[in-house]
Amino acid sequence: MRVAREHFKSPKGLPVEEYLTPGSPLCAGCGGLTTLRLMHKVLGENVVIVNAAGCMTLLATFPFTPLKSSWLYTTMASASAGAQGVRDALDILRDSGRLPPQEDLQVLVLAGDGSTYDMGLSSTSSAIHRGLDFWYLCYDNEAYGNTGFQLSSASPEASHTSTSIDLIHQRKKDLFEIWRAHHPAYLASVSAHDAVDLAEKVERARSLRGPKLFLSLAVCPTGWGFDPEWGDELAHLAVETGVWPLKEAVAGVVRHTYIPNRFRPIADYLEPQRRFRHLFQPHRNEAVLAQMQAEVDAYWAGLGTESTLTPRAPETEHAPRV
Amino acid sequence: MIRIRFHGRGGHGVKTAGRIVGTAAFLASLQVQDSPVYGAERRGAPVAAFTRFDSAPILERGVIDSPDLIVIADETLLADAGAAVLAGQTSAAAVFVNAPAGARLNEKYQILPPLVTWDITARTQAVLGTASALSAGLAAAAAKLTGLISAEHLLAAVREELRQLRATADVVDKNVTIAAEVFDQLSTVRFAPAASGIAGEVLTVGYEGVNLGTASILAPGNAQQRNTGTWRVERPEIDYDVCTRCGLCQLGCPDGAIKIEKNGFPVIDYDHCKGCMICAQVCPLHGIARTKEVRSW
Amino acid sequence: MVRQLLTGNAAAAWGARLARAEYVPAFPITPQTEIIETLADWFADGSMPGKFVTLDSEHSMLTAAGAAAATGVRTFAATSSQGLVYALEVLYSVAGWRVPLVLVNVSRGLSAPITLGPDHNDVLAARDTGFVQLHAETCQEVLDSVLLAYRIAEDARVSLPVLVNLDGFFLSFTREPVEIPEADRAREFLGDFTPVQPVFRASRPVAQGVAVLEGGLYSYFRYQMHRAVQNAVAAHTAAATDFERLFGRRYGTIESYRLDGADVALVMAGSFTTKAKAAVERWRSQGRRVGVLRLRMVRPFPAAEIAATLAGCRAVGVIDQNLSPGLGGIFFHEVAGALAAHQVQPPVLRSFIGGLGGKDISQAEFDHVLETLESAHAHDGPHEAELLFTRTEWDQVRNRLALAGKTWERSAT
Ligand SMILES: Cc1ncc(C[n+]2csc(CCOP(=O)(O)OP(=O)(O)O)c2C)c(N)n1
Ligand code: SF4
Ligand code: SF4
Ligand code: SF4
Repeated sequence: MRVAREHFKSPKGLPVEEYLTPGSPLCAGCGGLTTLRLMHKVLGENVVIVNAAGCMTLLATFPFTPLKSSWLYTTMASASAGAQGVRDALDILRDSGRLPPQEDLQVLVLAGDGSTYDMGLSSTSSAIHRGLDFWYLCYDNEAYGNTGFQLSSASPEASHTSTSIDLIHQRKKDLFEIWRAHHPAYLASVSAHDAVDLAEKVERARSLRGPKLFLSLAVCPTGWGFDPEWGDELAHLAVETGVWPLKEAVAGVVRHTYIPNRFRPIADYLEPQRRFRHLFQPHRNEAVLAQMQAEVDAYWAGLGTESTLTPRAPETEHAPRV
Repeated sequence: MIRIRFHGRGGHGVKTAGRIVGTAAFLASLQVQDSPVYGAERRGAPVAAFTRFDSAPILERGVIDSPDLIVIADETLLADAGAAVLAGQTSAAAVFVNAPAGARLNEKYQILPPLVTWDITARTQAVLGTASALSAGLAAAAAKLTGLISAEHLLAAVREELRQLRATADVVDKNVTIAAEVFDQLSTVRFAPAASGIAGEVLTVGYEGVNLGTASILAPGNAQQRNTGTWRVERPEIDYDVCTRCGLCQLGCPDGAIKIEKNGFPVIDYDHCKGCMICAQVCPLHGIARTKEVRSW
Repeated sequence: MVRQLLTGNAAAAWGARLARAEYVPAFPITPQTEIIETLADWFADGSMPGKFVTLDSEHSMLTAAGAAAATGVRTFAATSSQGLVYALEVLYSVAGWRVPLVLVNVSRGLSAPITLGPDHNDVLAARDTGFVQLHAETCQEVLDSVLLAYRIAEDARVSLPVLVNLDGFFLSFTREPVEIPEADRAREFLGDFTPVQPVFRASRPVAQGVAVLEGGLYSYFRYQMHRAVQNAVAAHTAAATDFERLFGRRYGTIESYRLDGADVALVMAGSFTTKAKAAVERWRSQGRRVGVLRLRMVRPFPAAEIAATLAGCRAVGVIDQNLSPGLGGIFFHEVAGALAAHQVQPPVLRSFIGGLGGKDISQAEFDHVLETLESAHAHDGPHEAELLFTRTEWDQVRNRLALAGKTWERSAT
């Protein structure tokens, strides 16, 4: 089931304006790029993207940029601190009357999971803690993609990376919950497959001041090992199998924005990907598959009091109506 | 010294081709250096590999600017200015292009050195059942043209390199078959000692101001000037008789290479479409057809 | 012994394997990743016993490495560029603990602007940390240097971390023939690790990494570290002698290439020295007396040996593949200091900057360097460091700047 939509009823209703031109050097079929493009569409103009080292860093490679907005590449660990500096400076200028309102910018951190879950965690934790008014998009391709797909703490159980030693015992950090424990103004998980859900969330977050954090499962044909044409279908399967729940947390209160009526078995999502091939060839590893299925099942079975489709209305300017 | 520069697209196997020739020369007790071009090899994007060998120590490193032999994995690379496959061609004794024998490409692409063509794609397709992994054929062509590598060393190198890539015994054997055939059918070309490329003016760089002196870009969205359409292996084509203007293909295209016209119909920007074929998969009416763009896949 | 085509990265991994490193904390960065991926495979398939662990950053990686060494386990780590400078604080720490370990750095230019091609600003940022530094020119030298590095690091006179440097792309991704020593010969060269300092054990508590607030004491400990780094020359000489006996390859703190009777000497480090050697061969065949001095051991800086080697030269040109903004080439100043301290005064001493971010140094640029050195006179006075740059590169820069929306007019405002 799906929550009622307030801002966008269908894909056709999404803004038509684009802020990313084609011609970037990223892989054909890059899911992270789709997410960024969609998010930017809804965010609108007047954005400065503060980037951490990752695949997206190559978006702006001299002398070309596909962005119609501004860009600042910082380092791998400190993008959120970069956002702090830009935001603070804009505020100083605005508050002292030196920045006309039309020159103000929305600040968006763009970082991969390696940066977000690992060395950038501290910088972001502090920015959320300070209540920094910024957007954050983590395109989670579940490994260090830019360096050739090594293990990150977002790499899920049994996924093969080029530095995995113990595939079966590696676990993905629950970043949603880690971030939620910081009480950001807005937090959501999104998927490029569900552009309307993504757009709805950006729109709902827009009126809130403070950290607005987006975690997107970003299909990665290169690292995951599948033919790029199946990118959207895999993103879809991640949602339909329950592997990637679509949810949001406003002032800490969680609401799932889509719950499949019938969950597909997770093997449907895993099997097409080379990184999980060892679970299917030469023999189907039923034990591990059952374990992984049980973990997904347990997540959904455990949706209890704090995670419901109808949360108590948070105290915000524009509380989402359900 | 023989300097060979291989050009292909990510997925063609030019890195492996360069290594096969390197290993073959190594087995022939020569000094060897081989390296692929730096950076990510995106499927479809132009890539290069370099192999040098000599009986004396090799006192060169890095990119080969003045090749003795250029090996090109697909004709479309010749038309791709960004790939610069003919750079330094005046020093080359020959240019090999994977194209049907007798293909008349010299004039079309202004290839100056003697041109050798052979249809590795067709043979690879026939033997392996796929036309994408061309490494064995390309390596065999390079090895034979130089005249300095024996069939024995070449075939041993094919085995060695494919084994390292964890190819199955059957695939290894088939690649050996292809390599043997290419090696057999081509003839050696004559190599003149390369003129050392010493010409070049050295100049003094002065201070230019902070704006020119910083790596910032003041032309938003100028990536549109980059033609990523050449990466395309397959070409999506919208059947406007079927299209209902739902817009899903536009939303799903990672690169934003689909525009919606005023009348609501989507139009593909072929200068930039990378050919990922996501649009074809998301179209609810299967209204996007595909055609082959690059011959050797 | 097997002879095989190996990339510089694979050679580094083989060095760690033959040294029987038991602990490898890792964090990926281009162009180092092949090293850790190779080691991950070897730990996973059991060819290397011990533990490979992925960390959350280089800062953590090097802390774990130093802490494991302080606990008495032979440790190996590898990084590059941004990773090395991110870990810089920890480099100082682990050197201060006086623990032996080997860190491989795959040189790559530093951000900003972020780049991938090699130069030596990353590794030279670590020059004052207390790490011993060896710079390799070939893939063979990478492997050999890792083995030699453990001997130096674990030598009782030294007991310090050692950094082995190789250039990104030009060595890291380039295959060359490499002799891989037999495991038991390697073991003969490098025995098991026996720490020379007390390590953490329940029976013997030790407080390591403690605060020192008195300037006198601090000076004493820092100076001890300096002397320990200097001892690396003796440790290297001893190790290199054993190495030559076992494996037949000889390494010095510097390499003199055709310097006998040379009027002109070029000084360089790393894999680009190969290009200088090609120029020297060409010049020698024209009857010009030129040679190359390659800096191999960079810390300790072999000042005496450099001075002695360059003593007879009329002109010395240092080509730095690094740039200290506002100073010039780092090695130039170190070489000039070494010559001055040893009262060697070549009439002509010039500084050139080349190969930043992996830019080629073409033979035309080498010719320019030689012409500059040959036509210079002792009384010409001091000269600025000169950036080696060609007309073609300049045209390319102008073209790219225009594409980026930057015009010469706009720059003036
Ligand atoms: C301090 C530091 N260490 C390592 C790197 C090398 N590096 C560049 S991108 C990258 C991977 C980033 O992974 P992730 O955040 O998941 O983004 P992705 O590459 O998947 O887009 C790494 C390790 C760096 N730039 N800086
Ligand atoms: S490696 Fe993955 S995340 Fe990175 S550009 Fe390619 S598809 Fe995108
Ligand atoms: S194939 Fe379709 S989705 Fe992919 S880049 Fe081209 S237009 Fe976009
Ligand atoms: S997805 Fe298919 S039907 Fe929809 S707009 Fe695109 S081509 Fe037309």
